[in-house]
Amino acid sequence: MNGFFGTETADLVATWVAAVVTIVVLGGLLGERRLFGWTQHLLAGLATGFVALLAIHEVILPRLVSPLLADGGIGRAELWIGLALVAATAGAPWLPRLAAAVPVSIAIGALAAFALGGAVIGTLIPQLLASVAVDGGSPVDTVSGVAAAGITGLVLLGFLHGVPRGRPLQAAASAGRWLLVAGIGGWLGYLLLSRLLLLLDRIGFLLGDWIGIGR
Amino acid sequence: MTDRRALVARLAPAVLVLLLAAAWLLPETGAVRLASADPSAADGWADALDALPDAPTLLVGFDPDIGTYPEVRATVRVALADLLNRDGRLAFVSLTPEGRALLVSELARLGRGEANAARLLDLGYLPGAEAALVSIARRPSVPSEADGELARRVASEGIDAVDAILVVGGNDLGPRSWVEQVRPRVGEMPILAIAPTVLLPELLPYVGSGQLAALLGTPRDGAAYREAAELGPLERLREAGEPGAAAVLIGLLVAVLVVGQAWGRRLLTQLRETSRDGRDAP
Repeated sequence: MNGFFGTETADLVATWVAAVVTIVVLGGLLGERRLFGWTQHLLAGLATGFVALLAIHEVILPRLVSPLLADGGIGRAELWIGLALVAATAGAPWLPRLAAAVPVSIAIGALAAFALGGAVIGTLIPQLLASVAVDGGSPVDTVSGVAAAGITGLVLLGFLHGVPRGRPLQAAASAGRWLLVAGIGGWLGYLLLSRLLLLLDRIGFLLGDWIGIGR
Repeated sequence: MTDRRALVARLAPAVLVLLLAAAWLLPETGAVRLASADPSAADGWADALDALPDAPTLLVGFDPDIGTYPEVRATVRVALADLLNRDGRLAFVSLTPEGRALLVSELARLGRGEANAARLLDLGYLPGAEAALVSIARRPSVPSEADGELARRVASEGIDAVDAILVVGGNDLGPRSWVEQVRPRVGEMPILAIAPTVLLPELLPYVGSGQLAALLGTPRDGAAYREAAELGPLERLREAGEPGAAAVLIGLLVAVLVVGQAWGRRLLTQLRETSRDGRDAP
């Protein structure tokens, strides 16, 4: 059914392990917390192990060690700089604060620059351009554009807490907060559908892949 | 809470699971359909695939979330089979560990389904989040052990070897990140996306502005596309035993009942308090 497992012995063992763990997790719904807690530890342990393997096999060895060993590291200044930054991060407790702050500052600065730049170039400007009413656009597009701008403005006003304002502004802020709540409600509805499908997938796995009955 | 109520509250989840299991076993009669009656999203997706050149090469950003992947899994499998059926070449890359784990499983499944391995290229896991996306937009990194015509072409031509991008979203680095980081750097290259419903509010504006060429973002749109897709000899790659529409409907009805019951109880309490205040007033 979910097709993750084949028909060999190892796949059958994997199916049984997955089925037992699924039942234990579903048992949490009936109040069986101890075994449920154990599965949470198992998941955390497996995830940590997987990330460690990923880091070693797909990042550190092929992208750092191999290039450095290939030509003695000559001409790969960027890797040496990266290695020095990692060493500085690891040794932060014993380094002067100014030196220890350098790698963290670079990481946060780079992350913010990419995220902010992307948001402006990739989202803000194109979305503003797409919202602007243009000649030849249909009246529906114009109305929906105006409505979107109005709702955005009201929701932004909803964040004005503690600022002195008159009655119209107060009403607008209140409307903005209700629109925000409605939006969050809609989003929770989507989330509910996702989680329901996840539960159905697990039920389908138990019935179809494990027990072998189904449509 | 009385003992009886406590027992009911404790058994309710188990009853729900049993109810859903019974609904899952019901045969599909066609009385309730999961596929959307409005085929515009599925048609838009098919049009975007038809607009690709013959034997297209696609870069597949594979970063779904384990919690929402079951929602899009059947659609993703049909989309990959559809692309392979169109003589497509697929180069996969993951930017999150979660996506990588799911990608490894899906590549193993494609292998078991005897998909043409020469048309698949695993670019592996790329760390660095947004910075990794920028590096992909310049030159996707091909692992040294990768072999074959596709690997050589991507290694020599870089992003120019790619005709379109398919993003399987759900995680932090989903279609929005690809639109923000990659699209401004690769020009008019179409980006197609498959994402769970929770991402719909943030992705629909990109479809409206044309930044996403096509989006399958709801189970109903996915089901409509799956119904219409012709996979030819790769029909075997289609997922068997998808959740039935009856089970989804019953689950949603139960959810609505639970929410309605909570609201009703709150409303009733408020009404009682109001009437009591009215009686107590001098």
